[in-house]
Amino acid sequence: MTVPSPPPLAPAPGAYRTRLAKRTKTTVTTAFLVLAAAYVLIPIYWLVIASSKNTSQLFSTNTFLPPSHPSWWPANFSSLFTYESGDYKWWLLNSFIYSSVTATLATAVSTLCGYGLAKYNFAGRRAVFGLVLGSLMVPATALVVPLFLLEHYMGLTNSYQGVILPLAVYPFGVYFMAIYVADAVPDTIIESARIDGSGELRALWQIARPMLAPGMATLFLLSFIGTWNNYFLPLVLLGTETRFPLTVGLSAWASTLNEAGAGQPLYSNVILGSLISVLPMLVLFPFLQKYVARGLSFGAVTGE
Amino acid sequence: MAVQGVGEPAALPAPPLAGRPAPRVRRPAHQSRRGRSGFAMTAPFLGLFSVFFVGPLIYSIVLSLRSPLTGNYAGLLNYRATFSNGGYWSAVVRMAYFGLVQVTAMIVLAIGLALLLDSPYCRGRRLFSLVYFLPFAVPGVIAALMWGFLLEPDLDVLLKVPHFLGLANGAVQPLDYRLSLYSIMLIVTWEWTGYNMTILLTSLTNVPRQVLEAAKVDGASELAVAARIKLPMIRRTVVFIAILSIIGTLQLFNEPVILNEVASIGNSLTPNQIIYNTAFAFGNEQAAAAQSVVLALITIVATAAFYGIVRRRVNPLASTRVGR
Repeated sequence: MTVPSPPPLAPAPGAYRTRLAKRTKTTVTTAFLVLAAAYVLIPIYWLVIASSKNTSQLFSTNTFLPPSHPSWWPANFSSLFTYESGDYKWWLLNSFIYSSVTATLATAVSTLCGYGLAKYNFAGRRAVFGLVLGSLMVPATALVVPLFLLEHYMGLTNSYQGVILPLAVYPFGVYFMAIYVADAVPDTIIESARIDGSGELRALWQIARPMLAPGMATLFLLSFIGTWNNYFLPLVLLGTETRFPLTVGLSAWASTLNEAGAGQPLYSNVILGSLISVLPMLVLFPFLQKYVARGLSFGAVTGE
Repeated sequence: MAVQGVGEPAALPAPPLAGRPAPRVRRPAHQSRRGRSGFAMTAPFLGLFSVFFVGPLIYSIVLSLRSPLTGNYAGLLNYRATFSNGGYWSAVVRMAYFGLVQVTAMIVLAIGLALLLDSPYCRGRRLFSLVYFLPFAVPGVIAALMWGFLLEPDLDVLLKVPHFLGLANGAVQPLDYRLSLYSIMLIVTWEWTGYNMTILLTSLTNVPRQVLEAAKVDGASELAVAARIKLPMIRRTVVFIAILSIIGTLQLFNEPVILNEVASIGNSLTPNQIIYNTAFAFGNEQAAAAQSVVLALITIVATAAFYGIVRRRVNPLASTRVGR
C-alpha cells in the first residue's frame, strides 16, 4: 500500500480509522433503533391519521396520509358520543372509575399489608408471606371464570364493586411494598415516633408515608394501567352496556363491524374511540415512565 | 389480568425478606400488642384475598368435581372430558408453538435493543427507551384493533405492495386462517418487546461499571463486552422475562378475540377462548372449571419445566448476582 506519510500535527491514520469505525457503528446502531421505533410508532401514527377519516375515506384514501378534509369535528366526534344513545361517554367514565378506585384501594391495602409484614413480628407472618408469593404463581386468567360463578352466587356480577374488589387484590403489590418498606423506612424512626407517644397507624401515616410515596406512586400507576387495560375480567363479569369499561365497549362495537348494515359509522367510531382511550396515558407516559419502569424491573433484579 | 398481568411477575425469586428476622422488640408485653397491630395491618388484604382469590380457587376445584347435568359430585368426569377434548389440546399445542416462535423472537429482539441502547454507540437512549415502552400504555384490545385494521388489505395499501411488485397474486392476507397465528405473534411482540427491554435495560445498568472498564482496559471490543460480560450478567433477568412470557402466552385471550371480531379468524385458537366458550356459549360451568384448573396446572408445569431446563443448561442462579 502506498500510504503517504502523514503531515506533521495531523492525527495518526489509526486514530482517524478508529473515529470512522466508531461513526459507522453509531450509524448502524441508530438505523436499527429507528427501525424498531418505526415498528412501535406506525400503528399509533396510523390511529391518529385514521381517526380523522370517515368510513368512505378510510377505504378510499391512502392509509398513511391524512385526508384532504379531516372529519374529526364535528362528524366523527359527535358520531362517537351519540352512537347507541351515547354509551361511549359512560365507558370513558367507567374506565376512569374502575381504574382510579381500584388503584387507590390496591395501593392502600398493599401498603398497609407490606408495612405490617416488614415491620412487625407476629404469629403467621411467614405464612402470610408464603401465601402472597404462592399466589403469584397462579395464572390470573385461570380464576376469571370461577370468579364469575362465585360472584354470581354472591349477587356481585354486573356491579362496580364486583370488578373493583377482585382487581384490588394485588399480591405483587404486597411483595413490592414489603421489600420497599424494609429498605426505605429505618426501624429507629418508627421507634422514636413510638417514644414520642404516637400510635402504630399514626407512625405509618405521618412518619413512614412520606418515605414510601415513590413506591406508592409506582404501585398506583401499575394498578391503574393494569385495570385500564383489562378486558377479560370485566368482559366476563359485566352484562349492562352502560357499566362497560372502554375495552369491553369498543370490543362490542368491533364485533358488529362485519354485520350487514351495521358497518357504516362504526369504523370511525371504533378508531376514534380507540385513540381517545389511549391518548391520556400516551401523553402522560413520559412523566410516568420512571415510576412504572421501577415497578416492572423490581422482581427481576431483587433477591436471590 | 391481561395477558401477562401488568407488573405481576408470576414467578419470583425468594424474597430477601423471608429469611430476615423481623425487628426484635425487647418487652414481651409490647411485642404481643405490636404483633397484633402488625397482623391487623395485613387483615384488609387477607380479607379481600380470601374472598376474591382463594374463594374462586376453591370454588373452581369444587365445581370441577360436579356433574354438568345434575350438579352432584361426579368424581373426575370433567377432567376425563378435558383430557379427551381434542380442541382443547390442539389449542395448548398451538400455544406451545406460539411460545417457541414468538417468545424466542421477542426476547432476542428485546435483548438486542437493550444491548444497543446500553452501548456507547447509542444516541438518544432516553427517547428510544421511552418510545419502545409506549405500547405498555396501550390496552391489548386497542393494540389488536389497530393491527387488525392495519392487517386488513382493504384498509392498508402496504399489503398490496408485494402484488404490485409481482411477488404475490393479489394482496397479502395476514388475517387469513393460515397466517392469523403469525399476525397475533406480530401484535403480541409489538405489545411486550419494550416492556421486556425495559426490564433488561434496568438490569444492564446494574452491571458494575468497574467490570466493563476492566474489560476495555484489557482491549475487549464492545461486541465482546456485550456477549461475554453483559449477557451472562443479565442471564437471570432473561430467564425471568422468559417465564413471564410463557405464562402470558398460555393465557392469551384478548388479541385473538378482537381479531376474530374484526376478521373472523376463529373463536377457539387459545385455551382461554375455549374455557370462555365452554362457560358462556355452552353454559357448562363444571367443564369450564375443570379446564381452568388444568390450564393453571399446565402453566405451572411449563414454567417449572422451563426453569429446570435452563437451570441445568446455564445455571442462572450461579451467575453473578445483579443489583441490590
